[in-house]
Amino acid sequence: MPPVPNFQLSIVNVLLNSEGSPLAFVSDSDYDARVYAAIASNIWSTFDKNGKNLMREDNLKFMLVECEKGNVAITMVSNMLLCLVATPDVELGILKAKTDALAKHLEEPFQRVTAYTQA
Amino acid sequence: MEGLKAVTVTDRDGVILIKSVSNDVSQRVLEPALSTTFAVISDQASKLGLKKNKSIVSLFGIFQIVQFNHTPLITTLVADSDSNTGVLLDLGDELKEITDIISSALSDRQVI
Repeated sequence: MPPVPNFQLSIVNVLLNSEGSPLAFVSDSDYDARVYAAIASNIWSTFDKNGKNLMREDNLKFMLVECEKGNVAITMVSNMLLCLVATPDVELGILKAKTDALAKHLEEPFQRVTAYTQA
Repeated sequence: MEGLKAVTVTDRDGVILIKSVSNDVSQRVLEPALSTTFAVISDQASKLGLKKNKSIVSLFGIFQIVQFNHTPLITTLVADSDSNTGVLLDLGDELKEITDIISSALSDRQVI
C-alpha cells in the first residue's frame, strides 16, 4: 500500500510582525512560538536585505529552512510574516502549498489592517 | 539541469573553492556575501530547537537560491525561480559526496 500523506501538517503556525513579535499563533507552547517568531524574523530580514543587493532589487518571496528535526516555511503576508513549522515527515511541497494557501487567504484582510494602521 | 545558473562551493568566509557559472547570469551571484549570510543564518536556524540546519531555500522573483550546510563548507545553487526545487535539493545531496572529500582533506591538513 502506498504511504498515506501526512495531512496534519504544521505543528506550529505563527503570524508575526516585522520586528519578530508574534501577533497570533497556534502552538502547544507559547515559548516555542516566541522562539520561532524571533528567529524566523531575523532569518527573513537578513536574507531579504542581502538578497536585494545581490538579486537586482528582487524581493524575497518565500523561504524554506530545513533542519534535522523539522522544517520551517516563512512567507510575507502584507507587511507581516507567516511562519509554519512542521515535522520532517511532512513533505516540503505540501508545506509550501499550505503556506501559500494560508498567505493567499490572509492577504486581502491584512491589507485592510495595514491601510488602517498606516492611516 | 534546466534553469540552473550557478553552483559554488565556498568556505564560511565566502572564499570560492569550486564554481560553475552560466554565461547569462550576473557575476554578482558569486559575491561572498551570499555565503557569509548563509553561514550566519544557518547558525541561527540551528537554534530553532529543531537540531542542526541542513539547507535553506530562498525564493525570489526571478531566482531561487538553495544553500546547503556541508560543514565546514557551503554549497550554493542559483536557479530560475520556476526550476524544480526538489531536484535542486537532491543535487545538493549528491554534491555532498564531493564536499565530504574536500572537508576531510581540510581537516587532515588542520591536524598537521
